[in-house]
Amino acid sequence: MTSLEELRRINARCIHCRACQYAYSNEPDREGKDEEYTGMMLSCPGGNHYGWEGYFNSGRMWIARAFLEGELEPSQEMLEVIEACTTCGLCAEQCKNYIDTVDVIEELRAAIIDSGVEPLKRHKVIGDRVLDEEMRNPYHDPRSERTAWYDGEIDNQNAKIAYYVGCTGAYRQQGVAKHTASILKKLGYDFTVLSDEVCCGSPILRTGQKDVFKTVMNENLDLFKDFDMLVFSCAGCYRTFRVDYPKQSGKPLPFEVKHTLDLVWELITEGKIKIEKPYNKKVTWHDPCHTIRHIGLSIEKAILDESDNWLLDSRNATKAKEAWYERPRDVLRAITGIDFREMYRIKGDSFCCGAGGGVKTQFSEMALETAKERVKEAAATGAEVLMTSCPFCITNFSDAVKALKDEEKETGKDLSSVGSKLEIVELLEVLDELL
Amino acid sequence: MSQLYNKVTDEVVKELSAICGDKFVTDSLPLRHSYMAKGIMGLEAVVPEVVVRPANKDEVLKILVVANENLSPVTPAAGGLSGGFALPAIEPGGILMDMTRMNRLEVDEKNRVMTVEPGVRCGDAWRIFKKKHPDWAPPIPDGAPPGATILGDAIERGFSLVTGKFGPQADMIIGLEIALPTGELFRTGSWALDGAKAFYRWGIGPNPDGLFLGSQGSMGIITKCAIKLVPHPHYKTIVAYGGDSWEHIIEPAWEIGRHEMGIAENTVMVQGGNWPLVMTRWPKSNVPIDYKFYEKIGVDEYWMNSEVWAWSQEELDFTLKKIDETYKAYEVEKKTVCKKQDLHPKQIASRLKKPNLIAVPYGLYEAGFLFITWYCPWLESPRMMEEYCAKMEEYGFPPTMWVASIDHARQAIVMPILCFDSSEEGIYDKIREFNLETTKSFVKQGWINYRPDPFVHAPYTFSKAKEYYRMLVKFRKLLDPNLILHPGRLAIPWGAVTDLPNPIEEGK
Repeated sequence: MTSLEELRRINARCIHCRACQYAYSNEPDREGKDEEYTGMMLSCPGGNHYGWEGYFNSGRMWIARAFLEGELEPSQEMLEVIEACTTCGLCAEQCKNYIDTVDVIEELRAAIIDSGVEPLKRHKVIGDRVLDEEMRNPYHDPRSERTAWYDGEIDNQNAKIAYYVGCTGAYRQQGVAKHTASILKKLGYDFTVLSDEVCCGSPILRTGQKDVFKTVMNENLDLFKDFDMLVFSCAGCYRTFRVDYPKQSGKPLPFEVKHTLDLVWELITEGKIKIEKPYNKKVTWHDPCHTIRHIGLSIEKAILDESDNWLLDSRNATKAKEAWYERPRDVLRAITGIDFREMYRIKGDSFCCGAGGGVKTQFSEMALETAKERVKEAAATGAEVLMTSCPFCITNFSDAVKALKDEEKETGKDLSSVGSKLEIVELLEVLDELL
Repeated sequence: MSQLYNKVTDEVVKELSAICGDKFVTDSLPLRHSYMAKGIMGLEAVVPEVVVRPANKDEVLKILVVANENLSPVTPAAGGLSGGFALPAIEPGGILMDMTRMNRLEVDEKNRVMTVEPGVRCGDAWRIFKKKHPDWAPPIPDGAPPGATILGDAIERGFSLVTGKFGPQADMIIGLEIALPTGELFRTGSWALDGAKAFYRWGIGPNPDGLFLGSQGSMGIITKCAIKLVPHPHYKTIVAYGGDSWEHIIEPAWEIGRHEMGIAENTVMVQGGNWPLVMTRWPKSNVPIDYKFYEKIGVDEYWMNSEVWAWSQEELDFTLKKIDETYKAYEVEKKTVCKKQDLHPKQIASRLKKPNLIAVPYGLYEAGFLFITWYCPWLESPRMMEEYCAKMEEYGFPPTMWVASIDHARQAIVMPILCFDSSEEGIYDKIREFNLETTKSFVKQGWINYRPDPFVHAPYTFSKAKEYYRMLVKFRKLLDPNLILHPGRLAIPWGAVTDLPNPIEEGK
């Protein structure tokens, strides 16, 4: 269990240095192709969009401190400021004082709501839907149709592996769910899908609705407790199970959790599978915050939590984190024919797609502007495909490309240099086709 | 002090909005709290009443006029010399002017000068120079994170990446553009002449820029500054020598610096410290606190780094050889050992990196730290550091100490890093006591606080410089008749920050 109060001393480490506003805050001489993509770059989605200090993590840490010191009463106005953050964790990656910035922000949101402030309008709607017995998902879709996409055996109690599909796979991106199921079959996993699965609670926890989150977390933990392993295709669900469930329940998970990409990565690195079918495209990769940076940071933290000498062990912790960041790249490089090009901001310093933390739901303008900035960075690599593996990144990037195309139609301008011609592709979909 | 000033009214907020646009003015309480900073450079922040983000000097001037008419205090802030809002608003709050939108930068390689607005951050300047002006470096502070601003460091007389050679950052200023609460705007140096470039600091003379450098924004708001570029040769390295006392790391550095020319010119930055400087970068509960561990991993009790820049490998090698000879001669003369450290290339690269986050992690040790910075003659610095370290231990703080040479080891910048637990009850009173005791002693010894805090350093210093303070207040009243700029800073008005006898009253 965590709370803002428990993070008081961690929050107090903030000296307001504002390194957290930058990607590569400690790499001034990082080489890039031009003046825009070189060295350190201001890369906080909220701060870049709004400009006020309170929308950067550096300012939020001081809002949290004021709240903890009783100098700032919780209010709707305060919640509006604190919610306009994608919780991408770029700030946590930069922080030399190891402040768990995402935890502080999420717990501050929860504390504000816990004090009686209503969740923001659209956030409340998704919280209500997730609790509604007829839905149990944020999309307003019937619960009865949760597994409609799947033609395999549902609720197979003999299986030891379950595929946790998540609401987006079940209702919005069924193609990804189908491709994932197909990959699992091709790789020889005996798995099942459960009809009683409910929302993992990721958007609910991120937006501070902790009571609702705990309800769904407990239901899912109970529902899946007898499985050996849960497999995921959704970055948000995976992060929530792997990082948040143990933290919020105070207990270790009763099962192993793996993202489908990790299964593929393991088999590739063990030499058990080869991807021989070619994929002859110029591809750049976007690191989803949930599966890459957040998990990397949790790996680093777990090592440091066990250490009585950070001076010696911090290097190993960083190495373990960086090894995690390398995984999707190992998979991409294993694809025959691929012309893989890295963007400037990658791995722990990757720039967010702009959708996370409840931002897409509540602050659509900020979400779109952030996605456009990332799409522009992708286009600067000369790639024709922007590949990632997260339903929210896919949706937000697709919206950005669509907005650029609309702008092209309206103005007659060629916006291909900023990403209008990019194809947005889910890696799992490609892997299913290639395996 | 509150009777001297008025609260920021809704009417004032409307006027500010009319100047900058609604989008750039806020009285939102959470947003105002986000501009707080207690630690690193000061502990005295209060929440401003309104925050405004001007786009240019004209807006700055208009805001100042409105503030002056309403008697509202004004605090300008962008990034400050250490990345945080190093000069946040203090009692009674008032208008905080967030200067980050004013971030234009121009570089004139031929005249070797750049002009910067207050919001130009070191990280951004470094990036631009790296691609567009690779043979030059922006004069950024050494050891400050990327969010620190060039102008913030310069006007506070901070140390730069080449301070060992060029002196404090303020010595590199060629011209200032200054906005006053009276609605006046003027430039200093050759810039004062219509159409003239900023090429000569002393200009058409006499030059008043010193009134603004170190004023902590209390004399006028600097809306633009012309500052020298730093040549950026690409043969660079770091050498470090250990010692068994402060004296034995300070004196050999003086031997190198005192020649002023030759290898002293190549030694652009000289800085050192003691072993707790390594220890207190990590959580107290998760790091060894006994020197034995640090000794085992090769950390000297005391050490001094010399950063050397040269135009060729030959020049670099020659400088390193001469530095080594100097240390060897010193060892013989003083019958001591100044062991040359065997630095890993990664350690060298890390120490050459600018801007960097080297000053940041001291928040980890106990969740709070404060830099307290003093200047003294270089050869007196061992005495100051010994006294400081002893006092830190007496008060229960680890004796973490950093020192750097200013201008060829003429002056020392001595900086204890006070690591403390900000959640401990009464900790701020304890720090104040510590500060008072050391300040009284140091001022008596003729040493100067580099960035005086308004409640301790400034009153005690000016109590020993009464004639100067009286003159300073006269100048201040000429520039800012209603004392609206950053009230309390430089102990103006006096009664607002201290109960000590007022030098002005005493002079009557």
